[in-house]
Amino acid sequence: MTGRDGGMGRREAARRVAQAAMATAAVGVGTFGFLGRRSASAAAPEVRDFRVAGEPQRAVAARGADPADNVRRAVAALGGMEHFVRRGDVVLVKPNVGWDRIPEQAANTDPVVVAELVRLCRGAGAARVVVADVSCNDPGRCFARSGILAAAQGAGAEVLDARRLEMVPAALSGAASGMEVIAPLLAATRVVNVPVAKHHSLSRATVGMKNWFGVLNRGRNRLHQDIDRSIAELASLFRPTLTVVDATRVLLANGPQGGSLDDVRAVEAVCVGTDPVLCDAWGAVQLGLAPRELGFLAEAERRGLGRSDPSLVRELGRT
Amino acid sequence: MTAARAVRVLYQAAFLALFVWLLARLAAGDARAFPYSLLHRLDPLSAAGVAAAAGTLAPALAVAAALAALTVVLGRFFCGWMCPLGTLQQLAGVLLSPRSRRESLEVNRWRPWYALKYYLLAGLLGMALLGSLQSGLLDPLSVAARGLAAGLWPALPGGRPVPGGWLAALLLLSVLVASRFVPRLFCRALCPLGAFLGVLGRFSLFRIQRSGGACSECRLCRFACQGADEPLGAHRPGECMVCLNCTDACPDGAISWRFLGASPQVPDRPDLSRRLLVGSFLGGLAASPLLRAAGGGRLAARPDLVRPPGAVAEPEFLARCVKCSLCQQACPTGAIQPSLAQAGVEGFWTPVVVPRRGACEFACTRCGEVCPTGAIAEVSPARKTGYDGRAPIRIGTAFLDRGRCLPWSMGTPCIVCEEMCPTDPKAIWLEPVEEPTRDRRLVRLQRPKVDAARCVGCGICENRCPVGAEAAIRVSSVGESRDPLNRMLLGA
Repeated sequence: MTGRDGGMGRREAARRVAQAAMATAAVGVGTFGFLGRRSASAAAPEVRDFRVAGEPQRAVAARGADPADNVRRAVAALGGMEHFVRRGDVVLVKPNVGWDRIPEQAANTDPVVVAELVRLCRGAGAARVVVADVSCNDPGRCFARSGILAAAQGAGAEVLDARRLEMVPAALSGAASGMEVIAPLLAATRVVNVPVAKHHSLSRATVGMKNWFGVLNRGRNRLHQDIDRSIAELASLFRPTLTVVDATRVLLANGPQGGSLDDVRAVEAVCVGTDPVLCDAWGAVQLGLAPRELGFLAEAERRGLGRSDPSLVRELGRT
Repeated sequence: MTAARAVRVLYQAAFLALFVWLLARLAAGDARAFPYSLLHRLDPLSAAGVAAAAGTLAPALAVAAALAALTVVLGRFFCGWMCPLGTLQQLAGVLLSPRSRRESLEVNRWRPWYALKYYLLAGLLGMALLGSLQSGLLDPLSVAARGLAAGLWPALPGGRPVPGGWLAALLLLSVLVASRFVPRLFCRALCPLGAFLGVLGRFSLFRIQRSGGACSECRLCRFACQGADEPLGAHRPGECMVCLNCTDACPDGAISWRFLGASPQVPDRPDLSRRLLVGSFLGGLAASPLLRAAGGGRLAARPDLVRPPGAVAEPEFLARCVKCSLCQQACPTGAIQPSLAQAGVEGFWTPVVVPRRGACEFACTRCGEVCPTGAIAEVSPARKTGYDGRAPIRIGTAFLDRGRCLPWSMGTPCIVCEEMCPTDPKAIWLEPVEEPTRDRRLVRLQRPKVDAARCVGCGICENRCPVGAEAAIRVSSVGESRDPLNRMLLGA
């Protein structure tokens, strides 16, 4: 293609100019493609409101020796799980699996209660039911010895302990701002909060709203510096579809970890509700505490998250 | 000497002088806002690396696109005309080399292993894609600035010692001494920026042209060829640094640098093994998680990893820092030092604040002003100090070691940390006490206490604490604004 005196032919020159133009265009596309883009680490998605729209705030309690039956009766009294979980939903069931304790020690949610909820969600057509918690002790030991791993898997749930959980940024405000949440919380379309009612050395009682500590990890230990405010703030950030308070056995002292069977009392009751404050107030009563003495309940009520008068809970009685 | 070559030498001298002069102004604490990081911001390798690692191109680095586009037109003129490390190597080659003419002809031939730089570039970009930006280790602007700032400056009168500075000096010296054996060995075989520009330079519209008719094939063109790009044989525009020594040397006037000039032969491809290239890229991809896991890791506890004020969150910081040492050179107190171990292998040579060497001056924002990539964001003094009404920028929190503190455990009055504390109100306050001495006298003491909610971690308390060696009050990174997970207090 060489033309006269080492110059080049017109076609060759056009080819070279076209190549150079394309290379320059690639530089330009690369520059403007990346310029001003948000960096990968900047995204922090919102946490969904998991409540069923238009649902009134209420709670129902059932008593009896069979925890699964208690769960079934209370859920049925609220209109059945089909009312809360639709076909194709991804449900996160969030029990308290904080400690390496067996069910009799009442430091974790009763496995029968968790399994029954998984079964009800599956029965209502949930595409996936995920059980997850960020434990305080070694997660493998907590999930195995609490009985929750076997029971929930047997009922058809995917069980994720903290070793398998991804922590992701989320748009949180207040005391929890900047903390990360477990990824299944952002992936779920419905959330069932399943705490156990226990004594707590700082907040006096830990029930459902305090159970949200378990979707957080790094940084959550600083929430204790103003526990009542923190619990109420978490309850305003995380709005579950249902709260299910397990009072099959309750821990009355040395909580939240317990250990001694002398501190455990068999109450044989479960409370299911759409009012997280009411559910917590009911849980406090099962511990022998007056709800009006608990700062976090007053704080949550003040923020309009629910009512703390336990007489509003509909008791179905013992079977 | 032809005019063109003379102009090139002038350019080289000017850019080298500018580069060194700006470093000198930084070290001198010149308050004028010179474009200290301009050359670093023109660096397309940094721009591409940061874009790949952070997923975004910092606006400050957008000017690098101009250099990249110009390279498509002119070839690798940056290497031959602007790069300070290139100029230093050329100088070293001239000063150190006792080469005969025959040797020069031999040593300036193109070698297949000069393709190594392309593999290095592929590997570095692979690493960057997974968030680990290591291009700064070999980026010539970083190598030069680091070698001068950490290696040479500490040795100058009034210079401050920089731990690990000898490593930076050794790398720079090795690069220069290598030019004694092979001219611009670093540029030809190792430089990832040269490789990046070489990829673009292959398309250059201006290039060396030899008219076969006039050429007597005397090979004098190769005698001083910087790029080993074979102006006589199969010319390689991707290797040519546009030094124009060949046009100058040709006695027949057969070689010129022309728009759309055509050499008789141009190799179509840069002689790269596709397998090796892909292998290097995949190796880079694999190295990123490896460095993170085996090299200490980003999540490893590192209380002494205090980053400069305005530094972005650690993963993004590591995706942006090009290890150029400008912040270290700019720091008026010597607080900023290269990290040798605190930040893991991945963060080697990234800047850390070492309060025992220097405190972070309360209203000083120099490091963010000179950072070319936004690893340290530029903030105003009002923003940093919190005088704009928002929370100040915190880089850590001071902790008292009561066992070492004079009023706390030695019965000796001292208030130095409190008097130095710059925040408003002071983070360090004094509790008056009266304490019996050994001989039953009462001594009045003021015991310092830290109000952690007020502390910004500047470290002036640690720096000025009279308790030698390890101070009685020390800063760790907890509480730093840039990481909401590395906090201690609940906050508002």
